[in-house]
Amino acid sequence: MKIGFVSPYAWDVPGGVQAHIKDLARYYRDHGHEVSVLAPATDESLIEDDFVTPAGRPVAIPYNGAVARVLFGPVAASRVRQWISSGEFDVLHLHEPAIPSLSLLACSIAEGPLVGTFHAAAPRQKVAFAIAPLLEPVIEKLRARIAVSEVARETLTIHLDTDAVVIPNGISTDFFHKAQANPEWKKPLSIGFIGRFSEPRKGLGILLDALPNIARIFPHFKVLIAGPGEGIEAMQSVNPALRNHLQFLGRINDDEKAAFLKSLDIYIAPNTGGESFGIILTEAMAAGVPIVASDIPAFRSLLDEGRYGRLFENENSDHLATSIIELLRKPELRADFTRKGLERAERFDWSQVSDEIMNVYLHARGEDEKVRLVSETRPWNRFFTREDE
Amino acid sequence: MQTYFWIPLLILIAIWYLTFSANRLDRLHHRAETSWANLDAILQRRAALALDIAHQEKIDPATNLLLTAAAHQAREADISERNEAESGLTQALLILSEDEELISSYPQLFSELDLITERLRIAISLHVEAVAAARSRREKMIYRIFRLAGHAPLPVKHAFEDDSLQEPKR
Repeated sequence: MKIGFVSPYAWDVPGGVQAHIKDLARYYRDHGHEVSVLAPATDESLIEDDFVTPAGRPVAIPYNGAVARVLFGPVAASRVRQWISSGEFDVLHLHEPAIPSLSLLACSIAEGPLVGTFHAAAPRQKVAFAIAPLLEPVIEKLRARIAVSEVARETLTIHLDTDAVVIPNGISTDFFHKAQANPEWKKPLSIGFIGRFSEPRKGLGILLDALPNIARIFPHFKVLIAGPGEGIEAMQSVNPALRNHLQFLGRINDDEKAAFLKSLDIYIAPNTGGESFGIILTEAMAAGVPIVASDIPAFRSLLDEGRYGRLFENENSDHLATSIIELLRKPELRADFTRKGLERAERFDWSQVSDEIMNVYLHARGEDEKVRLVSETRPWNRFFTREDE
Repeated sequence: MQTYFWIPLLILIAIWYLTFSANRLDRLHHRAETSWANLDAILQRRAALALDIAHQEKIDPATNLLLTAAAHQAREADISERNEAESGLTQALLILSEDEELISSYPQLFSELDLITERLRIAISLHVEAVAAARSRREKMIYRIFRLAGHAPLPVKHAFEDDSLQEPKR
């Protein structure tokens, strides 16, 4: 099958959506399908994958509490048109087609077996969906909609009034399971955190507030914090006596991330909201680390109400501290979470997730159907368009 | 002068809007038809698989009879009887899913059944959604006044689709 993917965000900037497309495209390519990805790129020379077609430089806009680099406009539109008409795709898979981006462009000029995946969970963000009436005629062309989580699905039903099939994000469980711990990070009683900690919604502050309580019981624990940023600012809010418990590792790559998770005794996800799925939790489970996470909807459904990891009351540092202490005290409880977590992570392995997505492709497609440009099927356009396009 | 300019322009805009709307509806009808075709194909496969299971040795005669009858009904039902037939087959297969011993003796057949049930779930939700989208569009005033739906049949959702969406109670 020939599959075309459209990424809304710049390919050479790290992000969950791009990572999802990259893994999925690679998986299908390795399993005998033909894939092509159209994506914006800030620097085309940084693109390593040969199946990616760069579509131009994106612009930065603030979206969902972060900066999104997207691409729009007539030049981009003509690139999309060219890519679709030369691609002869069996299925076109658009990611995040409800925000002004390359995906929305592609959705408006293509017709046929279109599948859309919605990643964002923004229940309260009315602005991004205020243009819903304008989006409706475009979005309704999607033969099938996929939401990456129940929360993303809810966002979709509230704002765009359509339903979606829930298929979670995928990970490569083997990659995390077989990673080797880094001896430098592997210390007794180490707890870890990954994320852009300068953003309040990632919840590092909640974790830092929990430190005094933990230190009272365990004088020698260690907190490892990975993510882009300097950490000096975050340090300032911590009692100087506790600062030696903290270690900032800076930005880490995928291999380091796997080794990092393997080295931990507990992984903490204190996010206060805005999280749609929580891929990092599935990665932690695949690496066999017990998890303590805030009880926001995305984490609650991922951890099945606490079956696969300990949940604490969102934004409650005291409750976080008691949960951590309990887990540090009981190795058998940690072992239990590790075992269950590994089981749970299998559900999110690409081998399973990609099958489900392929299922949706098959359903979206009529017999022998290809993706076409809308302009090809408008009768009057036959008189106007030139043959050479 | 003014009217000579505005009237043709308004007519042009009206024509454009009507074509655009008709196009939209046409696409929605197409979506509903495609999703039904896919759903139908999977239902046929499920019936064939049910027959396969019914013909296995370890199935007791009563279950065999029940399953064979349900599967045949599902395969041969015309559109008016389809509802009852597919619901019947769903129920019959649900009874099977409680029989752990049977499942462990034919792992291949039952894993295929699981696969088809999963695909059925997706096909149904896509069809339900496509039908709902097309119907809600057709109900809009402009589509009714200008009869933009033409002679296209109204897409329908079948009652069995709701039943089949229920998770098997294991």
